[in-house]
Amino acid sequence: MSELKLLLVDDEVEFLEPTAARLARRGIQCRAVASGDEALRALGEEAFHCAVVDVKMPGMDGLELLRRITRDYASVPVILLTGHASVELGVKGMELGAFEYLLKPVEFDLLLDTIRRAAALRST
Amino acid sequence: MPSNPYRTMRRQIMAVLLAFGLVPLLAMGAAGYVANRAAIETRTRNLLEAMVKNRKATIDLFLEDRMRDLELVAASFSAEALTDEARLDGLLAQLRREHGGIIDLGLIDSDGVHRAYVGPYNLRDRNYSDQEWFEHVMVQGRYESDVFLGFRRFPHMVMAVRKRDLGRDWVLRATIDTDMLSALVREGGIESGAEVFILNRAGEYQTAMAPHHVLMTKSDLGPLPVHSGVRVVTRRSAKNTEFIATTWLRGGAWVLVARQEAPGLGQLLNAHPAVLGVFVAGLVLVPVLARVVAVARLRQIRALERERANLFETAAQSQKMAAIGRLAASVAHEINNPLAIIDAQVGVLADSLDDLAGVGDASEWRLRLAKIAAQVDRARKVTHRLLGFSRRVGPDIEPVDVAAALEETISFVEREALASSIRIVREVERDVPLIRTSLAQVQQVFLNLINNAIDAVGAGGEVRIKVAAARDGVEVTIADNGPGIRPQDLDRIFEPFFSTKAGGGLHSGLGLAICKDVMQSLGGRISVTSTVGKGTCFTLWFPMEAEVGGVGTQAVARG
Repeated sequence: MSELKLLLVDDEVEFLEPTAARLARRGIQCRAVASGDEALRALGEEAFHCAVVDVKMPGMDGLELLRRITRDYASVPVILLTGHASVELGVKGMELGAFEYLLKPVEFDLLLDTIRRAAALRST
Repeated sequence: MPSNPYRTMRRQIMAVLLAFGLVPLLAMGAAGYVANRAAIETRTRNLLEAMVKNRKATIDLFLEDRMRDLELVAASFSAEALTDEARLDGLLAQLRREHGGIIDLGLIDSDGVHRAYVGPYNLRDRNYSDQEWFEHVMVQGRYESDVFLGFRRFPHMVMAVRKRDLGRDWVLRATIDTDMLSALVREGGIESGAEVFILNRAGEYQTAMAPHHVLMTKSDLGPLPVHSGVRVVTRRSAKNTEFIATTWLRGGAWVLVARQEAPGLGQLLNAHPAVLGVFVAGLVLVPVLARVVAVARLRQIRALERERANLFETAAQSQKMAAIGRLAASVAHEINNPLAIIDAQVGVLADSLDDLAGVGDASEWRLRLAKIAAQVDRARKVTHRLLGFSRRVGPDIEPVDVAAALEETISFVEREALASSIRIVREVERDVPLIRTSLAQVQQVFLNLINNAIDAVGAGGEVRIKVAAARDGVEVTIADNGPGIRPQDLDRIFEPFFSTKAGGGLHSGLGLAICKDVMQSLGGRISVTSTVGKGTCFTLWFPMEAEVGGVGTQAVARG
C-alpha cells in the first residue's frame, strides 16, 4: 500500500504536533495546519487521501472548510473531530458530506482505523 | 379560614347566580301580585256594592211590607172591631200565616192605654203615654223602632200606625220578630263571604252575623256618616285592608254595612295553585342550581390552576435543565481539548518507548504511561457521559426494538458488572412491538439507569431488567436489590444535582434528571418505587409513537 497522505487541521498546535507524530509513525504522512485558510492552501498545493478537521476553529470553522473541500476537492473524504459534542453539529456535518464525526479525545486506534477506511474509500 | 379564595369565589359566583335567578322571579311574582290584587280588589268592591244595593232593596221591601200590613189592618177595621181581642187574635193568626214574623198585636187609645192585646205577654192596660215612640206615632202617623231585646231576650222591633176612628186617635202596634230580617241580611254575606249587618244611627248592631256582633252594642266602626246611595270605602290598617260598603235604610235610621277584608297573599296564591307551584319550585331550584353551577365552575377553575401550576413547574424544570445543559456542554468542551492533547502526548511517549526497547527500565515508564492513559480515559467517560453524547448521531425517530436496544446497552456495562460479580438478569416478553422513538436517547436512559443500579447493588448484587408490552406502548423495569432510597429522598431524585451517592467524579447528579427529561421529550413516563433494605425499581413506559416536541428540553443530550 502506498503511503497515505493526510491533511490534519486543528487550531490547537499542541494537539497537532503529537498527533501528527503518532500518525507518521504508523506510515501516514501528515501535513498539519492550524487554520482553514492554511488547509485550503495545502489542498491547492498537493493531493491528500483524507482530511481530519476540527470543527471549532477561529476564522473559518470546520463546517465551512468541509463545505469548501466537498465542493472543490470532492475526492478528499473529511473526518470531523471535535471536543464539542453536539448532535446537531454531527448531523449537519454528515449532511454536508463528512465521512465520520469523532469526539475528542478520540481513542487513537479508532482514529487510525477511521482514517484508513476513509482513504480506502477514496482509492477505490 | 377567611382567606380561602375558593370559598370567596364560590360565594361570589353563587351570589351572582342567585341574583340572576331570584330577582326576575321575585320581580315577576311581585308584579303579578300587584296586578292580581288590584283586579281582585276592584272586583271585590264591585261585588260588595252590588250586594249592598240588592240587600237594601230586599230589606226595605221586608220592612215596607210589614208596615203596609199593619196600615192595611188599621185601615180595614174599625176601632171597635180591633178592640175585640177575639177578632184581633184572628187577624194576628192571619198575618202570621201570610208573612210570619209578627209576634203580637195591640190597640192603644189616645191616652196611651193598651186597650186590646193579643200575644205572648200580658201587656193589656199598660200605659204608653209617657213613651217617646207613642208621642212620635201620634204626631207622625207611623213608627218603627230600632231593634231591641225584650223580656225574652230575643231581638225584635216595634211598628206602630195611627188610626182615626170614633172621633179620636188610636194606635195599632205590632212587635216584629227580627230573626227574619237578620236572615235576609245574612244571606247577602253568605253569598259574598263578607260580613253583613245593620247598625243604627248610634252605630249599634241591629242584626248579627259573626259571634262578635253583639246586638245593641257598638261596632268598631263607630257612628257612620249618613249619605245617599251606596258608598264603598277602603280602610287600610297595619293589620289588613278592608272594604266597607254602606247604604242607609229607613230614611237614615239604619245603615246596612258589608265589610270584607282585601285578599292577602295567601288567598291570592290559593286562587292560583299553578303560579304558586312555579314560584315555589323557582325559589327552591334557583339556589340548588346556583350551588351546582358554582361548585362545577370552581372545580374547573381549580383544575385549571393545578394544570397551570404543573406546567409552570415543568417549564421551570426545563429551563433549569437547559441552563445546566449549556454549562455542561461548554465545560465538557473545554476539558475535552486538553484531554485530547494529553492523550496525544501520552501516545507519542508510548510510541517512542518502543524505540527505546531494552534501554533502561522501560516497563516502569510503560506502566506509568498506561496509568495516565487510563485516567484520560476515565475523564473522557465523564465528559462524554455528561454530554449525553452518542456516536449514533441524529435524534431521528425510527422503529426501535426495545429489547435489542437494551441488550446493546447492557453489553457496554456487562463486562464491568461481571468483574464485580454483579448479575444482570433479563426477562424479555415475547411479541414486544417495535416502537417509533429515538434509539440514541432511549439508550441514554437505559445506560443511566443500569449504571445507577450497578452502582447501587455493589459486589454480588443483582440487577433485574424486564421488557413487556404495555397498554399503548412498551414497559421496561430496571430493578436492583441494593439498599433502596429513603422515602424522603424519593421525591427529589429526579431533580438536577440531587445525588444520594457519596462523592465520586462519575456522579454529576444529572443522570436521573436527564432520564426524566428525555422520557418527557419522547412522550413517555418514568416512575420509581423503592424499599429501604430491599431495592429500587424504575419503571419506564414508552408510547408506541414518540411525541416529537414533548415537554422535555433534550438540552443536555444536544449539548
